Amino acid sequence: MFIILAVVMIAAFYFYPMIQALLLSFKSGKGMNLSYVGFDNYVRLFSDKTFLTAVKNTFIYLIIQVPIMIVLAMFISVLLNDSKLKFRGLFRTAIFLPAVTSLVAYSIIFKYLFATDGLVNKLLMNVHLITNPIQWITDPFWAKITIIIAITWRWTGYNMIFYLSALQNIDHSIYEAAKIDGASSTRQFFGITIPLLKPIILFTSITSTIGTLQLFDEVVNITKGGPGNASMSISQYIYNLSFKYTSDFGYAATVSYSIVIMIVILAIVQFKAAGDKNG
Amino acid sequence: MKKLLAIMLASFVLLTACSSTGNNAANNGGTAAEGTKEITVWAWDKVFNIGAMERASEAYKAKNPDSDLKINIIENAQADIIQKMNAGLNAGTTKSLPTIVLIEDYRAQSFLQSYPDAFFELTDFINPGDFADYKIGPTSVDGKQYGVPFDSGAAGLYVRSDYLEEAGYKVADLQDIDWKKFIEIGKAVKAKTGKSLLTQDPNDLGLIRMMIQSAGSWYLKDDGTTPNLVGNEALKEAFESYKELMSADIVKVTSDWSQFVGAFNSGEVATVPTGNWITASIKAEASQAGKWAVVPFPKLGNNANSVHASNLGGSSWYVMNVDGKEAAAEFLKQTFGSDVELYQKLVTEIGAISTLKAAATGEAYKQADEFFGGQKVIEDFAKWTEQIPNVNYGMHTYALEDILVVEMQNYLGGKDIDKVLSDAQAQAETQVK
Repeated sequence: MFIILAVVMIAAFYFYPMIQALLLSFKSGKGMNLSYVGFDNYVRLFSDKTFLTAVKNTFIYLIIQVPIMIVLAMFISVLLNDSKLKFRGLFRTAIFLPAVTSLVAYSIIFKYLFATDGLVNKLLMNVHLITNPIQWITDPFWAKITIIIAITWRWTGYNMIFYLSALQNIDHSIYEAAKIDGASSTRQFFGITIPLLKPIILFTSITSTIGTLQLFDEVVNITKGGPGNASMSISQYIYNLSFKYTSDFGYAATVSYSIVIMIVILAIVQFKAAGDKNG
Repeated sequence: MKKLLAIMLASFVLLTACSSTGNNAANNGGTAAEGTKEITVWAWDKVFNIGAMERASEAYKAKNPDSDLKINIIENAQADIIQKMNAGLNAGTTKSLPTIVLIEDYRAQSFLQSYPDAFFELTDFINPGDFADYKIGPTSVDGKQYGVPFDSGAAGLYVRSDYLEEAGYKVADLQDIDWKKFIEIGKAVKAKTGKSLLTQDPNDLGLIRMMIQSAGSWYLKDDGTTPNLVGNEALKEAFESYKELMSADIVKVTSDWSQFVGAFNSGEVATVPTGNWITASIKAEASQAGKWAVVPFPKLGNNANSVHASNLGGSSWYVMNVDGKEAAAEFLKQTFGSDVELYQKLVTEIGAISTLKAAATGEAYKQADEFFGGQKVIEDFAKWTEQIPNVNYGMHTYALEDILVVEMQNYLGGKDIDKVLSDAQAQAETQVK
């Protein structure tokens, strides 16, 4: 009885909308005037330059940002796991805090920090690293960099927590044994820490991949996807198709399903790459 | 225990379902037969649109002291209104939607045509001939009037007379100029004063929109659906003028509204070419009183159709096909649809320039504005409003503009203009399919 209720609820609130969205992705039209068009929407994806730009941007974020963040999170967590370090709690909290701030609030602050006459440019100019202000938000290249900096700032601490908890589960005696055998701390890191963290590395890279493919708030609030779609993400394109342009919910559903397909493929690849029975 | 929990959960679900229908019935039912006593209005911009609606509501109550019509004005961001409207209308329910909604003119057709039965026809309530011509295109479908035209987005060129004088020009030198002359003046201003001529946000092609409408042209052909980018002479010249502006090094690049406002309030730019609704923001910096003037919008020099009048933004009121629509239509008829007195109040108190032709005859429209050195700014804008070419904005303004923003970047980067426009056309054709 109890399980039936759960099954019914899951079916009603998860499977039914999923199937409806799939059906919707085979329809096209403006607003309410939708009609079935078969695979037209899926064909359209490949000739849609805006979609292809959005995919390209999203993958740039993914390929550059996720590895940086994972390595950074791991590095910081190992540092903060050192029992000799003072104020460990304070550091951990400080680095984790960005993950619990409001997405919109931090995006807006980033926008002001990185404005042409914003704090970041002033700082860089004062220390004579640059002579002219960098167009962080209005230049196609720097806009992407700004987004990458923003999401790294926000999510590194979140991933760090997973590593910290995993590190605390590693038996200390393994390190002691290694030390007695004369292994340096670098060797300990690569020989013990990384192999034992493998499941967590897999977990954080999959969740970060999914998160990046669904990236929306930062792009919309910091650069609005600009200049000229240069930083637009796929999720923002879905929003635009649904609400900014004349609504075409059918095609928007198609683009949404393209994200689902990409996430599934990438997750399979990552499981395979992890290459053990965790897959 | 498990059973008990399950029963509790199930009854909770049922209860929520029941209570929501109960609420809906209470909100909409009951008074419908004898005319609903309550209408809801959605609009954005607290000072401007909400302020106008509040004054209209007071005016209506003054005229109909016996009426017990209750008008709920709810402020929403424009993006939220669009999102809620699209979501609600697509879900096929009007229960969560307002009775009166403000829609930007550029988007109006996309709503009117996508959801044909969602809006209440107002042909019997207002006379389209009473309003500026260019407002009728966006607010009607097949000759049926759906919107009550509201504010004029009549564009003008706001200029800093002190900077111009420093550069050796008088405000009179900027009367009825074209973009070439404008850029030439800009270079002199930059050389003499070090100030930029204007700001531009690379994501916003408002300037291009104003340029092409001044020549009676648009991104779409007159049918409102066929992209009109390749071979569009006005658009080509607009693009060329834009590039000339950008490469003359007289533009301060901004990335959002507050930077845009900040640039002229802090005195960093010498001109602001935009819609008249910016007056309030310009006047917000009281220390610059007497330093500003407004001249007619520059025209495209090589286009015979181009006039010194254009439009940016502007919106209109629409009645949704829900309970209370007749009361709402009657309310709009008596206020925004005809009340010349109300419009005098709107223009003096919030600076909203009407598109109701009769309103311009009122006294408030003839007042000199000391902030603009005694210029009768409102009268000038009202005059330009009448000259704005009527174009069909169609359904796809923002979809096409997103394509053009990218192509503009390519063009600025050195791509050939004809290739730019033909590529944009090809993309536009897949997008509006």
